[in-house]
Amino acid sequence: MQPLDYILAGIQAVIFGPAAFELLGVPIPLTLVMVFAGVVTGILVGATPGLAGPMAMAISLPILISFFGYNVEALLPVLGFLIGIMKGATLGGAVPAILFNTPGTPDAYMTTLDGYPLTKRGQSRKALKVAHLSSVSGDTFSDIALFVCAPFVALMVERHLDFPEKTALLILSLSFIAAVIGGSPGKGLISVALGLIAVFIGGGEDFYPRLSLGTDALAGGFSIMTAILGVLIVGAVLKEYEDLWHRSNLSTAPEQIVDHGDQRLSRAEILRIAPYIGQSSIVGTIIGALPGIGTTLAAALGYQLGRARHERRRPEGAPAFGEGAIEGIAATEAANSSVSGANLIPVLGLGIPGNAAAVFIILATDSIGGFTPGPSVFRFSENVVNTELVLVFGLFTAMLFANLVNWTFGGAFMRAATVMVRVPKRTLLPVVLLLTFTAVYAQEPSMESLWFTLGFGILGYLMRKVDMSPLPFVIAFVLGASLENSARQAFSATGGDPFFLFSSWISILFLAGSVVTVVLALRQKRTKSTQA
Amino acid sequence: MYRLNIYIGSSAVLLALVGLFLWIPQDTGTGLIVHVRRQVSIGDALAPTIGFTLMAIGGALLLIERRKRASTEVTLPPFLHTGSLVAVIVLGLLLMRHAGPGFLLVAEWFGTTDTEYRLLRETFPWKFIGYFLGGVTMIGGMASLSAGRLQARTVLIAGAVTIGLIALVDVPFDDLLLPPNGDY
Repeated sequence: MQPLDYILAGIQAVIFGPAAFELLGVPIPLTLVMVFAGVVTGILVGATPGLAGPMAMAISLPILISFFGYNVEALLPVLGFLIGIMKGATLGGAVPAILFNTPGTPDAYMTTLDGYPLTKRGQSRKALKVAHLSSVSGDTFSDIALFVCAPFVALMVERHLDFPEKTALLILSLSFIAAVIGGSPGKGLISVALGLIAVFIGGGEDFYPRLSLGTDALAGGFSIMTAILGVLIVGAVLKEYEDLWHRSNLSTAPEQIVDHGDQRLSRAEILRIAPYIGQSSIVGTIIGALPGIGTTLAAALGYQLGRARHERRRPEGAPAFGEGAIEGIAATEAANSSVSGANLIPVLGLGIPGNAAAVFIILATDSIGGFTPGPSVFRFSENVVNTELVLVFGLFTAMLFANLVNWTFGGAFMRAATVMVRVPKRTLLPVVLLLTFTAVYAQEPSMESLWFTLGFGILGYLMRKVDMSPLPFVIAFVLGASLENSARQAFSATGGDPFFLFSSWISILFLAGSVVTVVLALRQKRTKSTQA
Repeated sequence: MYRLNIYIGSSAVLLALVGLFLWIPQDTGTGLIVHVRRQVSIGDALAPTIGFTLMAIGGALLLIERRKRASTEVTLPPFLHTGSLVAVIVLGLLLMRHAGPGFLLVAEWFGTTDTEYRLLRETFPWKFIGYFLGGVTMIGGMASLSAGRLQARTVLIAGAVTIGLIALVDVPFDDLLLPPNGDY
């Protein structure tokens, strides 16, 4: 098959795949229905303060897998739904930020700075339109970057990296994530170490399951669902409750929103915000392609660059950043949304998840089977059909459809999602918790798994409590087994060379990079502490 | 945070030392390197050794990181609040696990049934008893605890939401089992 044939086969896998239902005799593709449902869910979840896209992805994944089963046909509908959530949530996060000064997702904090002043001036609908346009533009740009870059990254890796280099690359990724997330390399490393130790329990090649303390409960190890859903969701729910407890005396009723004046977005205004969208899209895409650096940093950087540009070119009398400038919303929303597509570059190109949302994409492919993200999926073989490559192009088609849904219906859904901000958190959080337990049980029907989930939840809560990001834990847990397998294979392939990690310049470079990343992060922290 | 980082760093180093010198040597089948039929391969102890070494390095870095005295303090009351929430979750899970079989025992005492839970786990109302009571306890208990008062409205909402979740998960998906039915 030629590259074009693969692209067409991917599109056909979506369009002519299993039908969800028939409308006037026309079969409606299941994958497209799932993408649509995912986008709507994502917007609603993003618009609900306290919830986030990864939470919805985590809860829905086990239920979807149980429903669709473990076969290759399930991949596109399940991944389509997850990607829909991922894209919808970035859009929905702007809604409470603009209307109620409450960011729906952490990356939407910067949106409050200009969005809420606009709402107070009676321009909330215009602010939502700016957020919609910027967010979807950034997302689309990022997707195009993914489509172009992921195959090249994968081909480079496939051509130049063998087992020792791949092991060193995994070490580099983990060091990078440990160093950059949470602002403390020490805590990042502890988080990574906890994830590695947790995944190594009960594993190994010997008959005796290692680190199991002789118990049956630990002999099978911790399942990925209990660990990840526990740390990410149960931990977040417990921490959110604590924050609610702190804020219980400060809560105020949401203000009534009254719009007045022209709410349309004129052509001149679109042209005014276009450079900000372009600039932030590039920033967000570059940040998104690096594992571990999240949307919050992209939004902050996009906003800062946008402010610098605005200061230089601001017309007389126009509001400055922080006073209700539409350019501020554009800069933030384009930056945080352009992270989502680029995040999949390390996932599809290297098999390394860069953030929580990407973890669930890997988890879905891992659980369902038939598709292993990594450099081999981009092998354009001519004689034998590479089904994984067809699936990748199917996934790209689903992403484009999600963008189309966001472009066309996203604005209307954003306005409809404003009701979500009024859902009481006190009731919503335990519902999320019960849903999480139900989802874990659907995947692993044993009460033991729920106790483990609760245990990991308490760990996740404690980590958040001491300002230790749980994301390095999660990524280490996901990558731990691959790291060990890769090291075992590299060791065998080099004939038991104990210095196999130093067998080539590339792996030495990766290892040096790991050390340099941690040292630089440490020095940066020291400098910041000295300045403070 | 100033002292807290010292505690976290020290605990991490201590845990790493326990792992490296007690847990791994006592609780792994093979060492760092294994010789089998003249072949050398990586043993089961190597990966966790790297994990615990990283933890020790992380702890040590935390101890030497230059810290500023932040105003945020970790106090006991929030922990107690979270502890009580966890207690409610534990109660909910225990009810989820034992309420169905418990009700069956009561029914047996009254002579209305004479069978085991395993045979009833897919029949109404038995398959929902544990999930419903556990779910209502969890949602109602946590919401009430957070609000500082127990209201009938909260319990009603908890009941309605749990029934909604049952309808969402159990009714459309034949293969999905609600807790605790998969344990039987």
